[in-house]
Amino acid sequence: MAWLIWRQHRTEVCVLGLLVGLFGIALLVLGTQAHDLFPGGPARCAGAAGADEACTASFRRLDEQYGFVENLLAAFYLVPVVIGAFLGAPLLARELEDGTWQLAWTQAVPRMRWLAVKLAALAGVTVALTGIFTAVLTWFRQPFDAWEGRFQYDAFDLEGLVPVAYALFAFGVATAAGAILRRSLPAFGVAFGAFLAARMLVALLARPAYATPLTTTEPISVGGAKDRSVAGFADWTIEHGYADATGRRLSATEYYDLEDAADRAGTNLNQFLHARGIQQFGVYHPADRFWTFQFIEAALFVAVAAVLIGVVVWRVRRRLI
Amino acid sequence: MTATEFALRTDGVGKRYRKGWALRDCTLALPAGGVIALVGPNGAGKTTLLRLVVGLLAPSTGTVEVLGHDVTASTPHTLSRIGFLAQDHPLYKRFTVAEMLRFGRACNLRFDQGLAERRLAKLDIPLDRRAGTLSGGQQAQVALALALAKRPDLLVLDEPVASLDPLARHEFLQVLMGAVAEGGVTVLFSSHVVHELERVCDHLVVLNRGRVTLTGDIDTLLTEHRLLVGPRTATDLDRAGTVVEAVHSDRHTTLLVRDGAIPTAPGWQAQPISLEDLVLAYLRRPSEPGAAVTSEVAAWRG
Repeated sequence: MAWLIWRQHRTEVCVLGLLVGLFGIALLVLGTQAHDLFPGGPARCAGAAGADEACTASFRRLDEQYGFVENLLAAFYLVPVVIGAFLGAPLLARELEDGTWQLAWTQAVPRMRWLAVKLAALAGVTVALTGIFTAVLTWFRQPFDAWEGRFQYDAFDLEGLVPVAYALFAFGVATAAGAILRRSLPAFGVAFGAFLAARMLVALLARPAYATPLTTTEPISVGGAKDRSVAGFADWTIEHGYADATGRRLSATEYYDLEDAADRAGTNLNQFLHARGIQQFGVYHPADRFWTFQFIEAALFVAVAAVLIGVVVWRVRRRLI
Repeated sequence: MTATEFALRTDGVGKRYRKGWALRDCTLALPAGGVIALVGPNGAGKTTLLRLVVGLLAPSTGTVEVLGHDVTASTPHTLSRIGFLAQDHPLYKRFTVAEMLRFGRACNLRFDQGLAERRLAKLDIPLDRRAGTLSGGQQAQVALALALAKRPDLLVLDEPVASLDPLARHEFLQVLMGAVAEGGVTVLFSSHVVHELERVCDHLVVLNRGRVTLTGDIDTLLTEHRLLVGPRTATDLDRAGTVVEAVHSDRHTTLLVRDGAIPTAPGWQAQPISLEDLVLAYLRRPSEPGAAVTSEVAAWRG
């Protein structure tokens, strides 16, 4: 069986391995240079942008020289999906397309064993490739994380556990779609579309609700910079705005009315707001929730993948294919 | 007869797809040894029946027993005793012929690599060619060599020659019959062409619109059935339900009867019927599950 799986899927595995290898080497080279901008290591500068002179200079150079890479990487959250879907789509669909399922399942290997070995092998390759890719990417992003935290969309979705979960999700959708549609290419497309939809819903609606966000409120300082974030640099701010002295949140219109009033009175806005007891509030998830959130999101996607694989196993077992 | 002397036994087998029943009330007992032809028009349920026999599908009703074992259990032992050649003889197109053989070796308990290589060498099929680049006839031969190398006790073939040109068809049947002559294997194959079956087959199963309408040993069937030609008559001629078909022309009435050759009434002439005409007559019969069909099927079994 091992030889058969290798022979049938070696093209996909080689192409994906090559891609991951090339990206990995490029990231290692660029990443080494980016890390060298921080003599004491990027972690020492965490949150020190604007405070520590050396760190501020390092961050500025990081942005100038490697900012473009970070922007490119924002699209890399799709790489795990490509890996998973590319390996999952042909698993059953190609056999059904070519009629070779009738060949494969009439040899002496019972179909359930055939399916179990195939699923385990290809899901294993999916995890291994995504794992390597994510490990390199997570390391590459260390200087950027020290600057911006790990809760932004271009960090959270690329680091830690969730990319592997995304890949398994795509693998599950592609395998199930292949079993039902009996075509590889549409199955690949379905996996891609399903991931984009699921990830958007999760990132916008579910992720902020994994835990109850914290709220801080502080009075507006007379001399402070306007719109200074209330939460820490690495925290994930869900919402921030202004509240009156009683703590009631102001609508945008109410705030603009205050701004106009300050303009008309010809006073400094901060002083104007401070005098009226207006406070700033921030709703946020603290940075140390990163791993909790990673676990929850990974579990969510892996659970859906497991259900879809369960459907495939059930269909093959009941001989509905 | 004990169960193992039957290559295949089905009992009340039916298969329902979303669109409806593809096969209903299929009860068969086919002896081991020899060649069994499964005949019927397109869409009669032949492929469904064969897939049920090799365990690719599970029946909606009834049981399928192959070589004395329930085939839905799909044990390696049972699977290794059945060879299957699906319609259009699918192969992994990007595998070389040698890799196809390696596939067979890797996925089977017993696999006679030497036998397969000898067969392919005899047919001048190079082992290093990709399966997808071979001609249709050669692909069929590779698929057959693969199935025969399992040394199966039952070889099931779905429309094996339908897509082949006359020359490839002839060569394929020659190899197949050669394998049968070497002994030990029961062959069950489907065809929508009745022509030439007589030469090749021992046993016949006629399937029409999802139902078995005739089954039996070919020689016996041909002795039991006769054409009776006599003066045109409109009266009910069916003596004890033996008339399979009645055709009336201006002056004559031709009856196909299954009466075991009882003496002919005066004024009537008896003629033997060809296998092709016999099959066609059964295929022309209304296939709705009328009482007559069912009772006759029951009577034939007795």
